[in-house]
Amino acid sequence: MKIAVILRQVPDVVEELVISEGGRSLAEDEVMHITNEGDEHALEEALILKARHAARVTAVAVGGDEARDSLATATAKGVDEAELVPVPPEHRGDNVRLASVLGPLLKPAGYDLILTGVWAADQLDAGLAGLLAMHLSAPYVGGVVSVSLNPDRTRGTVHKEFSGGRLGVMEISLPAVLGIQSAEQPPRYVPVSRVVQAKRALQVRERAEAAQVVEGIRPAKLVKPTSGAKAEMLPGDAKGVAEQIVRILRERGMA
Amino acid sequence: MIPREVVVVAEHLGGEVTDTTLEMLACAHDLARSVGWRVTCLILTDNPKPFQSLPLNADKVLVVKDAGLGTPNPAAYARVLPHVLKDLSPRLVILGNTSLGIDLAGPLSFTLGAPVVSGCVGVRAEGDRVIVTSRLCGGKLQAQIEPGDGLTIVLLMPGTGHRELGMRDEVPPFEIRSSPAPLESLPVRFLELVEPKMEDLDVRKIPVLVAAGRGIQSKDNLGDLEALAKELGGAVCATRPVVDQGWLPRSRQVGRSGMTVKPRLYLALGVSGAPEHTEGMKGSDLIIAVNRDPEAPIFDIAHYGATVDLLELVPILTEKLREAKGGA
Ligand SMILES: Cc1cc2nc3c(=O)[nH]c(=O)nc-3n(C[C@H](O)[C@H](O)[C@H](O)COP(=O)(O)OP(=O)(O)OC[C@H]3O[C@@H](n4cnc5c(N)ncnc54)[C@H](O)[C@@H]3O)c2cc1C
Repeated sequence: MKIAVILRQVPDVVEELVISEGGRSLAEDEVMHITNEGDEHALEEALILKARHAARVTAVAVGGDEARDSLATATAKGVDEAELVPVPPEHRGDNVRLASVLGPLLKPAGYDLILTGVWAADQLDAGLAGLLAMHLSAPYVGGVVSVSLNPDRTRGTVHKEFSGGRLGVMEISLPAVLGIQSAEQPPRYVPVSRVVQAKRALQVRERAEAAQVVEGIRPAKLVKPTSGAKAEMLPGDAKGVAEQIVRILRERGMA
Repeated sequence: MIPREVVVVAEHLGGEVTDTTLEMLACAHDLARSVGWRVTCLILTDNPKPFQSLPLNADKVLVVKDAGLGTPNPAAYARVLPHVLKDLSPRLVILGNTSLGIDLAGPLSFTLGAPVVSGCVGVRAEGDRVIVTSRLCGGKLQAQIEPGDGLTIVLLMPGTGHRELGMRDEVPPFEIRSSPAPLESLPVRFLELVEPKMEDLDVRKIPVLVAAGRGIQSKDNLGDLEALAKELGGAVCATRPVVDQGWLPRSRQVGRSGMTVKPRLYLALGVSGAPEHTEGMKGSDLIIAVNRDPEAPIFDIAHYGATVDLLELVPILTEKLREAKGGA
């Protein structure tokens, strides 16, 4: 049983996002990168499956040098192999391109399952998992919150999230690509000391981008959204704010 | 010249079209009217009957009927849609930025060689150009995209557009076709749809909600939020990351894949305001948001906001409310 999990580097949206001068992308030197949240869940699900089925898990990181940290963490958590596909920042949100790069790299390795986050923070297009499935001619389900494999491992049963908390129970034949929404348990924590240790011993197989890449859409313009209705901001420190909230609620008969 | 088409791929459950479908129709109608295009509402189902006399706001309703289309199985949709869309050759296809739409996007983009624009919050046409506005980075950025002259597929964010305009006064022409592709032996089988379990309270019925976002930082801080909620006569609900951490049961999640709530008060604490969350709470009567980041998108929909540290605020606020009650 071989599982690959794709770990993308995306902008940390909790930080301030600065738009570059051209207005079409983020100012790269201002961006803090983190591993895409959905991919962190995909990694957790892969490790859960590894424990259940003695699978071999390969983490395939996409990004720049900071992706090596993501691979060190994944290794400390228990993946067996680490690969890095360097992709320049301006192309990382282009999933059409990523799928055309990753497809030919992943196909010959014969993975039974390829897991990745169903969504990426910087995504503007169809999403990586579904596109990758097409490149690999493999079946695909996204929005997955749990995976169990049949004893013969030719099929799996997944739970797919629908709106309103509903779950679709679906059976998929392997090999397959799954877009993970969230893992069955919260992504595990590893102490920093173990990550540092893993980083020292880390063996990364660097993969070159395929010669032929297909490009997808790019924004004509990037802006900070402005909505007409902005909140009325309550000034002051915590005490002052608390007093104002009490007053607002009092006026409405709620306090 | 034959007018160009906009195709809306309907989503439905138990014989009823979803709110997102009505929003997609409203959006398609707006755009089509501005440039003289036509709107086709495409419904894939095993049973066309419930849709037959629906006054959907479209120039035509086209139903593809097959026993294999009784469930929202993206694999079945992905097999049927390329054939139908090639036949209709629309300029624009609108899908929901939903569980189904997200799964269809990749396969359709690849098979039809068409770009997909996700997170769409607005789409308009100028002449033959389609211009799409999208949200990304948790709602902190907005992109304008001009995808080119061929077929374009957009995933419309739920909550975009006026769903009342998804219906009109008359029933549009209705056509039923059989599936252009066999749907047996799909590599993905839809076994069943399971309704959510109500493990504890039903947040949809609670008049005051204190929402815990990732900004609460640890499970240990939930106690303070519970105390505040109790003081307000309400309960604690949460964003997805808080539920994914296992700090609260899934039934407390508000947003696209959780509950839609409309309480009298929604106190959002450490919630960034990602569209997937706000979708489920923006109809609340009064929204007060506390977030250290002045750029957090939650302030675009909140009535009142503050940028103080929530961990500092919560105990003080609880105390002040207690005092206010005592003094009343
Ligand atoms: C298909 C799909 C479905 C989804 N469904 C849902 C859903 O149903 N519900 C949902 O909620 N999300 C959903 N999401 C996830 C959504 O996109 C966001 O990731 C999520 O809502 C973010 O949660 P958050 O605001 O708690 O966390 P974050 O975005 O991490 O925000 C935390 C905020 O807390 C602030 N903060 C930190 N510390 C403090 C402090 N001490 N005091 C004050 N403020 C502080 C930060 O400034 C930040 O803005 C879905 C995503 C996808 C792709």
